[in-house]
Amino acid sequence: MRELVTVQVGEFANFVGSHFWNFQDELIGLAADPLGDAVFKNQHLNMDVLYRSGETQQGVLTYTPRLVSVGFKGGLGSVSARGTLYNDDVDTPSDIVTWRGSVATHHTEPRKKNLFLQSLSEEEQENLVDGENSSRGEIEDKDIVKCLENDVTFWTDFSKVHYHPQSLYQLAGSWVDAQEFDNYGIGKESFSWSLQGEDIDERLRFFVEECDHIQGFQFIVEDSGGFSAVAGDFLESVADEYSNTPVLLYSVRSPSSNVLRENKRQIVSRDLHDAISFARLSSFCQLYVPVGLPSLSRSKAATHLCIDDQKPYHCSAVYAAALHSIGLPFRMEAQGPTTDSCYVSGALHVNDMVRMLAGQGRQNMVAILDVAMPAPTLLEKHLGQSLLGSLQPLTPEVKEDAEDLLALESMTVHGVFESGGDRASVSELKDQISAAYEGETVRPMLCHLSAAQCPLPVPLSFPSIFGNLVGQHGQLLATPISGVSSRGSLDVYSIPMAARLRSSNAVLPFIERRLTNLLRHGTVQGSSATPLLRSWGFGREELEDMGESLSKMVLALNPHSLTSSDSD
Amino acid sequence: MSLRVLNPNAEVLNKSAALHMNINAAKGLQDVLKSNLGPKGTIKMLVGGAGDIKLTKDGNTLLKEMQIQNPTAIMIARTAVAQDDTSGDGTTSTVIFIGELMKQSERYIDEGMHPRVLVDGFEIAKRATLQFLEKFKTPIVVGDEPDTEILKMVARTTLRTKLYEALADQLTDIVVNAVLCIRKPEEAIDLFMVEIMHMRHKFDVDTRLVEGLVLDHGSRHPDMKRRAENCYILTSNVSLEYDKSEVNAGFFYSNAEQREAMVAAERRQVDERVKKIIELKNKVCAGTDKNFVVINQKGIDPPSLDLLAREGIIALRRAKRRNMERLVLACGGEAVNSVENLTPDCLGWAGLVYEHVLGEEKYTFVENVKNPHSCTILIKGPNDHTIAQIKDAVRDGLRAVKNTIEDESVVMGAGSFEVAARQYLVNEVKKTVQGRAQLGVEAFADALLVVPKTLAENSGLDTQDVLIALKGAHDRGNIVGLSQHTGEPIDPQMEGIFDNYSVKRQIINSGPVIASQLLLVDEVIRAGRNMRKPT
Repeated sequence: MRELVTVQVGEFANFVGSHFWNFQDELIGLAADPLGDAVFKNQHLNMDVLYRSGETQQGVLTYTPRLVSVGFKGGLGSVSARGTLYNDDVDTPSDIVTWRGSVATHHTEPRKKNLFLQSLSEEEQENLVDGENSSRGEIEDKDIVKCLENDVTFWTDFSKVHYHPQSLYQLAGSWVDAQEFDNYGIGKESFSWSLQGEDIDERLRFFVEECDHIQGFQFIVEDSGGFSAVAGDFLESVADEYSNTPVLLYSVRSPSSNVLRENKRQIVSRDLHDAISFARLSSFCQLYVPVGLPSLSRSKAATHLCIDDQKPYHCSAVYAAALHSIGLPFRMEAQGPTTDSCYVSGALHVNDMVRMLAGQGRQNMVAILDVAMPAPTLLEKHLGQSLLGSLQPLTPEVKEDAEDLLALESMTVHGVFESGGDRASVSELKDQISAAYEGETVRPMLCHLSAAQCPLPVPLSFPSIFGNLVGQHGQLLATPISGVSSRGSLDVYSIPMAARLRSSNAVLPFIERRLTNLLRHGTVQGSSATPLLRSWGFGREELEDMGESLSKMVLALNPHSLTSSDSD
Repeated sequence: MSLRVLNPNAEVLNKSAALHMNINAAKGLQDVLKSNLGPKGTIKMLVGGAGDIKLTKDGNTLLKEMQIQNPTAIMIARTAVAQDDTSGDGTTSTVIFIGELMKQSERYIDEGMHPRVLVDGFEIAKRATLQFLEKFKTPIVVGDEPDTEILKMVARTTLRTKLYEALADQLTDIVVNAVLCIRKPEEAIDLFMVEIMHMRHKFDVDTRLVEGLVLDHGSRHPDMKRRAENCYILTSNVSLEYDKSEVNAGFFYSNAEQREAMVAAERRQVDERVKKIIELKNKVCAGTDKNFVVINQKGIDPPSLDLLAREGIIALRRAKRRNMERLVLACGGEAVNSVENLTPDCLGWAGLVYEHVLGEEKYTFVENVKNPHSCTILIKGPNDHTIAQIKDAVRDGLRAVKNTIEDESVVMGAGSFEVAARQYLVNEVKKTVQGRAQLGVEAFADALLVVPKTLAENSGLDTQDVLIALKGAHDRGNIVGLSQHTGEPIDPQMEGIFDNYSVKRQIINSGPVIASQLLLVDEVIRAGRNMRKPT
């Protein structure tokens, strides 16, 4: 077993993470449920890769995510940063042992717990009081789902996971509006790594020290605003301290971060932010996966989904599901190097994946994330082709029909049905999919396939985003269910998924745009953006270095592109 | 005006409205922080939306906790926080001084005076006050053996404004001894060499100085000793885990056997490194009852731990980077980056190493070291907010001692400097100033009195009575401060109340600069948000 430590930086990253951990929590619960579906019982996925076992001072055992989450102060809503597990003593705030003089107490209006969180704490109380005999609380699931649909403000509003007290870190005292915290410069200015960074480093060290043999870091970073500066500094320190441990980075952004920019200055600032943020974050990780379409609801990836782009609660659910699938191979229990079990196959460590996608050939470290949610049924006739065809990118600015013979792929398929209505076995899946690849006209140079039987569970807190063609177990129905437009966790229990990381030249437009913007605004003599960049603290030389490393990336993917970017 | 043409939505406040916005913001901030000042101030308990508690009497912490929106207030807050970053204290004083300067100015401006004239007066007064401070300060001789009494007095003065007396007095000795421990002749004091460690302990409030180091982790092997005496300490930064994960090694196996062979070979390399350490252990420990402890910054995986445990070696992995430096200063030896050429000279020494377990938290104490240049202040408290508050106080205490040693001087406290400086400005400086700038000097002088005034107010005394008594006693040729208990004038020197010279100088320096900037604002322009909204 090799441990994985997860880091989430930024509000939207925490939204994604919240869904991600809800999936894990659901899997743990389903595996322990005596009445549960057999497919969840034998997952052959090792949760210890993501979770740690601990113990409170009272000797109560705990099981919590190996996670450091960084967010804004006040971003936790009604949840305490210390969590509830380790809070044994009910603090009586009145006794202050350090001061005998007068006391002034300032109360912030207490945040009300929403129905979902209320029902969670009620459930816990009941379990404490009368064990098994839990009469279902007065709160109905239906109301909970409705409440979450209409009103999610904080990522904690829909989180059912207990976090370790060291996990949730809040950035203090930036005196900045969340709306204004929207570019690299402001993040750099209002947050000084030398002051708060050490605390964050310490939190991370706490989780790493426990690991017997860490396989890597999984960073989820909201890169659309000031948090990318925070993440940049954090990554720099991680790369320095844990130089041999690979970092897999997902840069996520919500569609709502794509607001229209009114004037030229804002557009330039946005373009530069994107370029700098990308250049900086990518320089401290081994694999960089941009996630986040400008409009998820209208994308092909959402064919069977009903998404509201304005709700981070919706979009983050899709991204989290994809991240979950991609991460499955990291915790498959390897049965020796050659034999596969019938439940899982294709175990990988982060490092294997990184080397496979970014370590050979062109050394391109920017990967495209594709997802099929839900993954289609394997039909005998079409073989796996329908599945390959249904994989659609969640990465923005990629070429649609790029033909790339040098592409490298790593795909995870899990919980898929075969035509008979049973779950396809792992070996069947592998055969079907390799056959499908054989049939393709343009094949990637290498495709690693990981497969598992266990589908994605849909927890109660999952948004109602499935279309009316999605069945109870995520099968695609031939006729739409009448009378409903979207289905959620009450109707759909699990979803078969396929997700793929693709290192291909289809990502060129993404990198090229950043390079062009950097060259146009950043390094050209007398650019109107120079004062802006100076206020962000970037000198010419630093920008030139960034430009150079971006052009190297472009060049690796497209040797013919030489100088084309210099001309404009 | 051109901006209106460019952006019709931009909001513009004219001169007088802008000025009043600034004055009000400064006064507002002053009001919030005022009650913090001094040993009779009010502690603030902030309860967050989710029930999180923050306890503070420190202006700096309070400012950082506040959600300040007003741009003027942010500007003042930034200055005050910067004050804390550079000198470690004086945030509250800075804010109330700026607030008072603005308040005094308001009087004159309402009477029709131009801010420019006031600002000129401020500048003169500031320079005069700084000169006066040079005369007023009490030089102390630091040398090789600094006068611990005076250091303690300074530390006590600071700590008593943050913690109740008995606790403050206990911490006083601790912070002074901690700074003296890490102090090296001819070198700047690096407070990072004092580790501040905390333990959550339900019934215990206690703070002690550990001469040596406390690490917040323990060994990760069941067979390793939990307690050992007479220990050699190896401080290392060497990976003792099997790293097939050399990130950039682009290597692929063509078959399973090759893979196995690779794994075995790489494992062997790690084992070699462990063996080198074991060799050194045998060299120094064989035939004695001495023990061997490895404290490593990189990882140590279970097979390596096994090998070490079998030899009776205690090993800790993933030590803090900063602890590498501290360990060497505390125990001696050197931090090694490779196991080649290990010699006994690399090793440090500690008389006692033991582990303390609290739930899942483990602590390793490295104690009884020879001649330490690094130490740990260990804080025990029943909950996080208590620990956090004591920690803040300890930091301030350490800074105060460090400042004193570096300043080689102190300033008498309890408001005595402010009273003396005010009288000096009014009685002597003002006369030498031509024209209306005199009024600026006067405003500045009166603003200085905000410190004794606030101290009196926080003690529940009548501010007017106190000021009259103080001025009177001063004019009789004494240096007097305010007694927090009686309100009578006292001699701060007798009472042992001293402040940091550098903190005072910084306040006098930065306060008028910000106040002047705020006074000279002609227009406030803001595109977008409404400034007049209540904040």
